[in-house]
Amino acid sequence: MASRAGSLTASDLVAASLHGRKRDIGGGIFQALLILALFVSLLVLLVLLYDVISGGISVFSERGADFLRGRLSIVTAATAGVGQGIFGTLLLTVIVVLVAFPLGIAAAIYLEEFAEDTRFNRFINVNIRNLAGVPSIVYGLLGLAIFVKLLAEFTGGRTALAGGLTLAVLVLPIVIITSAEALRAVPHSIREAGYGVGATRWEVIRSHVLPSAAPGILTGTVLSLSRAIGETAPLLLVGAVTGFLASGGASLYEQLYGGYTALPVVIFRWASLPSQDFRALTSAAIIVLLALTLTANALAIILRNRYERKW
Amino acid sequence: MTSGAIDIGALQGSPQRRRRESLILRAFQLAAALSVLISAGIVFSLLGEAIVFLSNVDLSQLFAGGWYPRRGEFGIATIVTGTMVVTLVGMVVAAPLGLAAAVYLSEYAKPRVRRTVKPILEILAGIPSVVIGFFALTWISPEVIQRFFNDASAFNMAAAGLGVGILVTPLVASVAEDALRSVPQALREASVGMGARKRTTTLQIVLPAAVSGIVAAFIIGMSRAIGETMVVAIAAGGTGGSAFTVDPTGPGQTMTAAMTALAVGSDQVRGTDGTFQSLFFVGLLLFFITLTLNILSERFVRRVRQKY
Amino acid sequence: MIQMSSRFRRIAILALPIALLTAACAPEQTEATSATGGENVSGAIAISGSSTVEPISVAVAEKFNAQNPDVEISVQGPGTSDGFELFCNGETDISDASRAIKQEEINACKENGIEPIELTVGIDGLSVVTSSENDFASCLSFGDLWALLGPEAEGFESWSDANQLAQKYDAQGAPYPDEPLVITAPGEESGTYGSFIELVFEPFVEEQGLKEYEEEVAPRPDYQASGNDNVIVEGVSGTPSSLGWVGYAFYKANEDQLKALEIDGGQGCVSPTPETIASFEYPISRPLFIYVNKQKLQENPAVQAFVDFYLSDEGIASAEEVGYIPLEESELEATRSTWESGEVITEETGS
Repeated sequence: MASRAGSLTASDLVAASLHGRKRDIGGGIFQALLILALFVSLLVLLVLLYDVISGGISVFSERGADFLRGRLSIVTAATAGVGQGIFGTLLLTVIVVLVAFPLGIAAAIYLEEFAEDTRFNRFINVNIRNLAGVPSIVYGLLGLAIFVKLLAEFTGGRTALAGGLTLAVLVLPIVIITSAEALRAVPHSIREAGYGVGATRWEVIRSHVLPSAAPGILTGTVLSLSRAIGETAPLLLVGAVTGFLASGGASLYEQLYGGYTALPVVIFRWASLPSQDFRALTSAAIIVLLALTLTANALAIILRNRYERKW
Repeated sequence: MTSGAIDIGALQGSPQRRRRESLILRAFQLAAALSVLISAGIVFSLLGEAIVFLSNVDLSQLFAGGWYPRRGEFGIATIVTGTMVVTLVGMVVAAPLGLAAAVYLSEYAKPRVRRTVKPILEILAGIPSVVIGFFALTWISPEVIQRFFNDASAFNMAAAGLGVGILVTPLVASVAEDALRSVPQALREASVGMGARKRTTTLQIVLPAAVSGIVAAFIIGMSRAIGETMVVAIAAGGTGGSAFTVDPTGPGQTMTAAMTALAVGSDQVRGTDGTFQSLFFVGLLLFFITLTLNILSERFVRRVRQKY
Repeated sequence: MIQMSSRFRRIAILALPIALLTAACAPEQTEATSATGGENVSGAIAISGSSTVEPISVAVAEKFNAQNPDVEISVQGPGTSDGFELFCNGETDISDASRAIKQEEINACKENGIEPIELTVGIDGLSVVTSSENDFASCLSFGDLWALLGPEAEGFESWSDANQLAQKYDAQGAPYPDEPLVITAPGEESGTYGSFIELVFEPFVEEQGLKEYEEEVAPRPDYQASGNDNVIVEGVSGTPSSLGWVGYAFYKANEDQLKALEIDGGQGCVSPTPETIASFEYPISRPLFIYVNKQKLQENPAVQAFVDFYLSDEGIASAEEVGYIPLEESELEATRSTWESGEVITEETGS
């Protein structure tokens, strides 16, 4: 299977001997069209990167690290920066990591390792797949109704905690699905070896299954993290700050219960400012966001390619 | 089972170990059941407010000529049509590009090419939508749309649609490629053995065999396009309210962008009785539309799996 | 292999949150070191409301924050009306407003035991704008604005569609050319929307004796409505034959993309300039306000300190810095004495 599209498959050999050296012009055009389509998609990526980098690079060359530390502003482009955005995004990310990852991996373990094929478990499975397809803005509404309003006593309303929990719920199905896939890829023989020496299910999972599935799980979680970093719409609904923010001397813990902003939210706000200075800042902020998400994505892809094993 | 001298208790291990085992099982089960709670949370929070909305609002306003929630005009047709226009433009881009990319990667590309091209597509898929939105507003709109349509406005649904198309292409490509690759090699070999050329094999054997998977890819792409928010919110210009329009070169409003427009920066929205609740009504509508599409595509995917 | 993955897993699971946490704490430290003492006020201030006034409040907050790093501040700009909704619910301490508070809003505040103090912080000229590429429009009278933007203009897609209506009201800008009429303007959440009605349509209805609009008048409903002036600037500058209106600061900041039309309020065409706006010679000038929740003053010293600073010479200069017209000396004195007396507003003020 793996060598299907390889350099010389049986099919190629048969085709070559059947058609001789005759040129297949129609086929050539067809293939050229396919490559063109692919090329267009990649070209878009290049144009996008060029557009953003050429628009924002001046900000880095002029202000450098100052831009990375600067605060959210819609007035003074000269000192505005993404410092608060980055901080907010990381704060949200930490909440996602602490909430969605353990829950998601635990749910995946249950579904793959413990669950019998009952109606309820099948329902959970279908339900999770459907949750993964729910538009992110609907999670924003959920966050608004549940975390901002219903649980206001606990989250403090429009706070970083409410925003982080909303994002955690949003990526949870993705974490579950990717982790479950990673667990499923671990062959049964590994588990049976564990049972054979008298280990319980949990012991087998902890000592054999999880370590084998760890790279796959990690890949999935990193991917979902990159998704959480880039999400904007739900944060707008649950009240990320878009004008000005000063955290005072609040401790990290207090900031959980305070106003917050996030990098994509800053980008959204700046993108709506027509002044050319802010347009450059928007591009520069996008470079930072892309650096974060693409690093996460690239990391995930590398992890997968490196540790992916064929059993 | 219990023949012989071995006591069954000895086989069951220590009670402490068993207790721990069942405790862990329960904990994991709870985590899995949480997803059901989330779904219930979504449905109930949307449904509750949507019912309040429907009971507070003069239902004829749902067929008003525009979407002006703060005036009590809730022309659902306006935002549904806007969504359809943007989705259509998006799919006109994403369906052929995604399918072609999938066919090339699955049928033509050498493994080395595949290994480099696929990650690039994945990177494209990983670009946050707010970035594509900015790109649609600042590049696609002036450089593409306004170049072809002289009287197109800076904010227009076509630019948003193209942006959404870019966003959806990798998704369509990835699902379609899975479908193509699950067509058994034997079919291709049989075709080639009959003397069919590669193109003929691809078009007449592989594609028809994978058709339900490809349909599934299009449906998933559509569902994603319908739910896309930021690209439209930034590039399509319909913020507070919009008249009914089908003109893609002009500004418009989609269901998703209408929701962000209403609630950015404040959950205390001034307006008529139903203004704030309309948010949830639209959300519910969106939820059901995408859910239906997702379930539909799942059906199609399963059909491919069952066939081979 | 399994041995390795196990170690790998443990490191990865530990490393990820730790790395993020340390990274997250980093800007914290830089903020702390850049702190410059100040008067040691602390507390939290939530400001929301008009997107027109938002830049002034942001500029003031930036300066205030430099001197009082311990105060938490957030500024948002969803629109004047949404701002009052939050304010009267007690969710914000200060509400930015580009129009005076309405009686029903005062009542809503009162129901929740909230007493607003009204402070004028600057003057704005509503700028009726088109794209800088527009070469056919230069001066519009109230009649023109009614013919192009008023309720009777619903459905007009071209400037020339309004010709008949304009003739009816003797509007001087007509006849207009057959160019697409693309309107991007404030929506109901915005005080700029209310001001336009109050300053243009209501006087016009009265002058012309248009009975059917006496009770209530609103602009034509079929335009792209936004609470964000910046989106309006983008929309207007994007099409040559566009039309819309924004606060003066937003016109000023985007002078290269926009053209402000002269307005004829009966005394000839006047273009919006700092002088004409400050003297109210420009017919559609309006004051800008902040409203302070009086009750919060006692419980939250930060609010007191912030508004003190807002009205100081350094703070109030922000209005001019972000493009609005500063208050004249006498008006500034009036604002300051209102603040000192802590006089709350119980009845709607006419503008």
